[in-house]
Amino acid sequence: MTNHTAKKGIFKASVLQNRLLGDKFFRLTLEVEKKAKTVFSKSNPGQFAEIEVSSLALPPENAIPPQFADASKRNVILRRPFSFADIMVSEDNVILEILYMIVGAATVRMKTLKTGDKVSLIGPLGNGFSFSDDKKAALLVAGGMGAPPLVHLAGFMKEKYPNTDIVVFVGTKSVSDLAFFDIKFDKFDKKKIKLGEFEKHNIQTHISTDDGSAGTKGFVTEVLKKWIIENKPDINNTIMYACGPDRMLHASAAVSSEFKIPCQVSLERRMACGTGLCQSCAVKCVDKNTGDNFYKLCCKDGPVFWADEVVWQ
Amino acid sequence: MAINDKKIDLSIKLGSVSLKNPIMTASGTCGYVDELEDFLDINQLGGYITKSITIQPRLGNDVPRIVETDSGMLNAIGLANIGVEKFMQEKVPLMEHYKTPFFVNIAGREITDYIAVAEKLAKCKQIAGMELNISCPNVKQGGITFGTDPALVKQITCEVKKVVGDKILIVKLTPNVTNISTIAKIAVDCGADALSLINTFTAMVIDIETRKPVLANRTGGLSGPAIKPIAVYLVNKVYNEVAKPAGIPLIGGGGIRTASDAIEFIIAGATAVTIGTSSFINPDCSIKIIDGINGYCERHNVSSIAELTGSLK
Repeated sequence: MTNHTAKKGIFKASVLQNRLLGDKFFRLTLEVEKKAKTVFSKSNPGQFAEIEVSSLALPPENAIPPQFADASKRNVILRRPFSFADIMVSEDNVILEILYMIVGAATVRMKTLKTGDKVSLIGPLGNGFSFSDDKKAALLVAGGMGAPPLVHLAGFMKEKYPNTDIVVFVGTKSVSDLAFFDIKFDKFDKKKIKLGEFEKHNIQTHISTDDGSAGTKGFVTEVLKKWIIENKPDINNTIMYACGPDRMLHASAAVSSEFKIPCQVSLERRMACGTGLCQSCAVKCVDKNTGDNFYKLCCKDGPVFWADEVVWQ
Repeated sequence: MAINDKKIDLSIKLGSVSLKNPIMTASGTCGYVDELEDFLDINQLGGYITKSITIQPRLGNDVPRIVETDSGMLNAIGLANIGVEKFMQEKVPLMEHYKTPFFVNIAGREITDYIAVAEKLAKCKQIAGMELNISCPNVKQGGITFGTDPALVKQITCEVKKVVGDKILIVKLTPNVTNISTIAKIAVDCGADALSLINTFTAMVIDIETRKPVLANRTGGLSGPAIKPIAVYLVNKVYNEVAKPAGIPLIGGGGIRTASDAIEFIIAGATAVTIGTSSFINPDCSIKIIDGINGYCERHNVSSIAELTGSLK
């Protein structure tokens, strides 16, 4: 398997845009400078960056969502990890796209970032997904805010692995949780939607929501399983890539094991540093030969792991 | 980057070991040897204190292992490390690539564990000293239970001192005691060449939705800027009551982010200072702190950093 990992560092980036999508998501577009251009242009889907947020101001009190009023009082010190939804490389510049949702003290501050602001980022971190030329089909399984790195992955594979057919499965709680996608609603049926990011690459996309407000009602992994049963992909040259909450990844791992399709999962853990120093983002793994359990670090050894090496809890 | 071109003497001594400047990494925040290398030139550091090494490898605690708090964080890593044998095979030889003196932090469950680790490390010519961790709040046996019991501090310091050979012995103190000077005095009487303070404060964060502690270990050690004023006070107290009369150097630390913070500790009585939690946020901050100390000395006509130690009026 090929892995396109680049060397990490601390870099400055300029905010090109920090745009509200729907009622809680933001698309942060950053342009990296100088040496960082080379480094980030080589980074791999699934890698991430740690963004410095301690120097960011709080929004005015009336702009803080009431559910984050208490959390926003807390002084933030640690950076926050974000994967890339896209990395756009041209001759003149390298642009990183990060999708985030307001969830607490740090992201409520990120809301105030505006065009021209400089932010410090450490990256690219972790190992990202790995690829192999012999795969005919890739099944991308995204749960909620796990979708951004898979958007990056889909675009990356279309360019570098054009012979691999990609099928995307996206699941969220409700249609409003899909707001960070470029959604195109069907004229006649509001539940039928298309996601611009995948449609532009002509990628077949299956949407599901827990409440049935868009696509199929139910979990993304159920839709995935049904698709596998109906389409019978050749397991020897099919691979799954999944990113989302642990429970959804656990279910993806179960599908992977049932149909014997290898699966890479991108995990999320609390991290203080993202660089392997603090040892806090431990992921319990199993040694396939001895059956012994041991810990890997999500930041350094991951965040992408093989589904069958993780001890799901 | 030219660090010391102003002819200010930043060198200090810890027992028989000379450091070219007073900036050291804090144990548990910088890995084993070379993990910071992507971000800074390790040769520019005054000294390097490794993460804790135990006789047997340790997996560490379950996750979550960290949680951010107001201007700080709690950690409960649980001394995850590869064990002394592997450390000597794989990590100690890497120290030869650097001129910076290395100090190995040692921990254990029983006094005999500490002695066994110290005996082995005493044979490594690459190591300048050992730091006795009798202050880790996150393990069920050993750690802090040694550091809070005067009789055990006496026994462990005296026993380990016998086996460290030509290495200096640093004892790292916990602030979780009624009178830190009592413990400091015992460590000095038993032959400690330097004292390091402070380790983290035992603390807890509760998730009010689940009414459970956030950390899997329930409690963790509080570090970061939140503890700095208490650490400065304790360094000054131990300096006045123990270190100055005995002529023993102190390694001060707790929430240092900037050169100003480091200088506060030095004025309070520290000969050297450690950078811990801040390395998680800005892994190159030690180098900036060395630069800043130079600037301060220049502004205040301090020709030697040693003059500043304990200069509190």
